[in-house]
Amino acid sequence: MLNPILSFSATRRMRSFRTMLIVIGYVAALLLIALSILSPFLKDTVALGSLSRGPMCFLALLAAQFVLIILIAPAMTSGAVAGERERQTLDLLLVTNTRSFRIVTGKAMESFALLALLILCGLPVTGLCLLTGGISAGQILLGELFLLAEAFACVSVGVFCSSLSRSTVFSGVMSYLTLLLIGVVTLLPFLFGYARKITDVVYDPKNYAALTETGARGLLPKLLCLNPGFGLVSLLQGQTHILNETMKYRGWGRIYCTWLMADRAGWNYIAVFCAVGMILVSLALLGAAALLIRKGSKKAKHG
Amino acid sequence: MLKIDRLTKDYGKFHALKGLSVEIPEGTLHGFVGPNGAGKTTTMRILATLMPPTSGTAYIEGVDITREGQKARKLVGYMPDFFGVYDNLKCWEYLDFYARCYRIGAEDRKRMTGQLLELVQLRDKENEYVEALSRGMKQRLCLARSLIHDPKLLILDEPASGMDPRARAEMKGILRTLREMGKSVLISSHILPELAEMCDSLTILDHGELVFSGAVEELSDRMNGNAPLEIRLAEGCGTEAVDGAVRCLRELPFVTEILQEEPYLLKVRFEGGAELCPDVLRKLVTENVPVCDFHRTPMNLEKVFMEVTQDA
Repeated sequence: MLNPILSFSATRRMRSFRTMLIVIGYVAALLLIALSILSPFLKDTVALGSLSRGPMCFLALLAAQFVLIILIAPAMTSGAVAGERERQTLDLLLVTNTRSFRIVTGKAMESFALLALLILCGLPVTGLCLLTGGISAGQILLGELFLLAEAFACVSVGVFCSSLSRSTVFSGVMSYLTLLLIGVVTLLPFLFGYARKITDVVYDPKNYAALTETGARGLLPKLLCLNPGFGLVSLLQGQTHILNETMKYRGWGRIYCTWLMADRAGWNYIAVFCAVGMILVSLALLGAAALLIRKGSKKAKHG
Repeated sequence: MLKIDRLTKDYGKFHALKGLSVEIPEGTLHGFVGPNGAGKTTTMRILATLMPPTSGTAYIEGVDITREGQKARKLVGYMPDFFGVYDNLKCWEYLDFYARCYRIGAEDRKRMTGQLLELVQLRDKENEYVEALSRGMKQRLCLARSLIHDPKLLILDEPASGMDPRARAEMKGILRTLREMGKSVLISSHILPELAEMCDSLTILDHGELVFSGAVEELSDRMNGNAPLEIRLAEGCGTEAVDGAVRCLRELPFVTEILQEEPYLLKVRFEGGAELCPDVLRKLVTENVPVCDFHRTPMNLEKVFMEVTQDA
């Protein structure tokens, strides 16, 4: 039987006028970005230089969706459990035969389903890049899959924070801060300590020439690879090599060295590592949330 | 049906329940009474498996609620003292959702939803949105929700709170029907007379301790046995006659308290049963006290509640 929490919450969500506005707003934002980049193609003649705008549009759309998901997911999930507490309906769910994990996953999947719907609705806009060339359907598909993994991670963080708090507003704020914290913490190895180790390898031509793919993967900190932003950059670079020109021979110290190391380790490897890592962390967070909602209920009231 | 065995619950240093033991037979309406903070809600939440006890346990049809929570949930229907409802949802969908949470199949869900809406007199509202219902109707819908999986024991925490007299009467009617259907109902309230009117038995709690548990008649018999004796003397008989009456009552060894509430009205408490009343009257008549009214005041249940919880 389909998770009752999922179907029930989805029914209520889809009846809300706000959901329709979110979908329209999301697609409109993407369309605006796409049209502003692809505007040369709307003219009668197209300059040769405009041909690179397809991959550029793909990059911009993926980055925009990446940011929009981070902005929308916490707002969408903040009421998942905290809202039930506010409405005083959580106890009514906990006394049924539905286990806490099923309740939490039902809530998470419902929010995820809406984000997936947004990503799906944005697909025709992203598909415009196909018309200009330079991007394949497979690349778009991989990009969408990465966004889905990111959406799942953001939803899990949101549901986890929601299960911790009693108010929807507090839960929303906590989710944004947690996502920010995840972004900062996963960048810590890049900001501190790690650079020296990597520059030693990169700046020594012999060492660098001998560096294998496995060796480079070992040198890249796993925490850094879990950074969703780094994951997205890796995906885009792995698929399109679009950032090659930007990065070439700029001598940006640790950024450039990391770039070379990631290049040696394999961009697609990093993107997959990041996506799988996000999913695993998400599952752990949902498990923790399931434990928390029963604990929260035990402390709820006495009289 | 329900056996509560030395149940305790501590919130830090605060002891909400102190070794509560109660047994409730099958098919009875059992009232749970006590002032605020007595431990009623705590007991009910433990029975509904929403919180674990600090020690002790309870058995519902032999199922240990602390060890077999999932099994116990199938046997218990719980209605808290608030009615949590969702907006954007029709009445039948609300019930259908909870039925799905109890993993009830599609056909049974449809049948149960219809029957329960009929029972709580909301059949004509099945396609209306929950937020459009009145408070009393929402309360009845919540009662239907707690019955959706056909539980053996129904736990209702203050089900009639905030209802107008008409809605209360309707709720009482539904509870009586449930008893006729063979359900055991545990119902809490601050209002003892209201519970006494419809319950077969009562448990009175105060500060987490059991004060009384038994049949309603047993409680009123017990309390009426301690009811004070009212002795009215003839108007204008003078203070000397009143003092004389007090003096002569004090001579009786079983009299414990004499109160003069009005100039010619004495209230006398004594240890012992009704068989001592003739002795009191005989003594007063022998001493030429001008008695014009002599009777025991029957205690109403409000007074019983105040007495019982005061002594604890």
